[in-house]
Amino acid sequence: MNNIQDSSNKSVTGKSSMAAKNKRNVKALATWTSAWLVSLALVAFGPKLLWNYDNVFTLCAIFVNLLMGYKMIVANKQHLIDLDELQQRIHFVAMAFSLGISMVFGAVFGLLEAVRLVEFAPNPSSVLFVMGISYSVAMAVAHRKYS
Amino acid sequence: MKNRFKVLRAERDWTQADLANALDVSRQTIIAIEKGKYDPSLSLAFKAAKLFDMQIEDIFQADEDL
Repeated sequence: MNNIQDSSNKSVTGKSSMAAKNKRNVKALATWTSAWLVSLALVAFGPKLLWNYDNVFTLCAIFVNLLMGYKMIVANKQHLIDLDELQQRIHFVAMAFSLGISMVFGAVFGLLEAVRLVEFAPNPSSVLFVMGISYSVAMAVAHRKYS
Repeated sequence: MKNRFKVLRAERDWTQADLANALDVSRQTIIAIEKGKYDPSLSLAFKAAKLFDMQIEDIFQADEDL
């Protein structure tokens, strides 16, 4: 092997290796996603269980939740930027599917009660599950296509 | 688009991981390019040409019908 040995830790571009960047980004994304989930749980359960619906504490919890959400979004953006071009394409396709399916599902799901097909009021958060599942399925299909 | 990635890599006795690391892409990308399932961007093609010390057209060939 010739010059490739020299680039075991650095690519021909001289940047740090993709694996190292990816590992760092995934760790950051996991950290901020966990923090966001914990802060969301605080907003959901804190008023009843911890501070007896004191609005000041609730507003503080919401502010922290939004801040953690912002950090999670930034971490996710950085994670996507540092992926290579094929991985970015896979995520792009998965996002396109997920967004489209969620929009179509969400629109009709919101009408179910109005057209008296169901008795309960549709919960908008159900769309999150559809989004997550469709994103995962699309990622799996795209990975399979390029493997 | 056809390419000679697999042949050129084998001639140099590089693994897919070696090549992926040198081009700063994932091994999955190298596999997809070698199998012809993915056409790399122009910048990645230039990087590969520089690494293999060849012209781009010596590595990548357009399909006959183009």
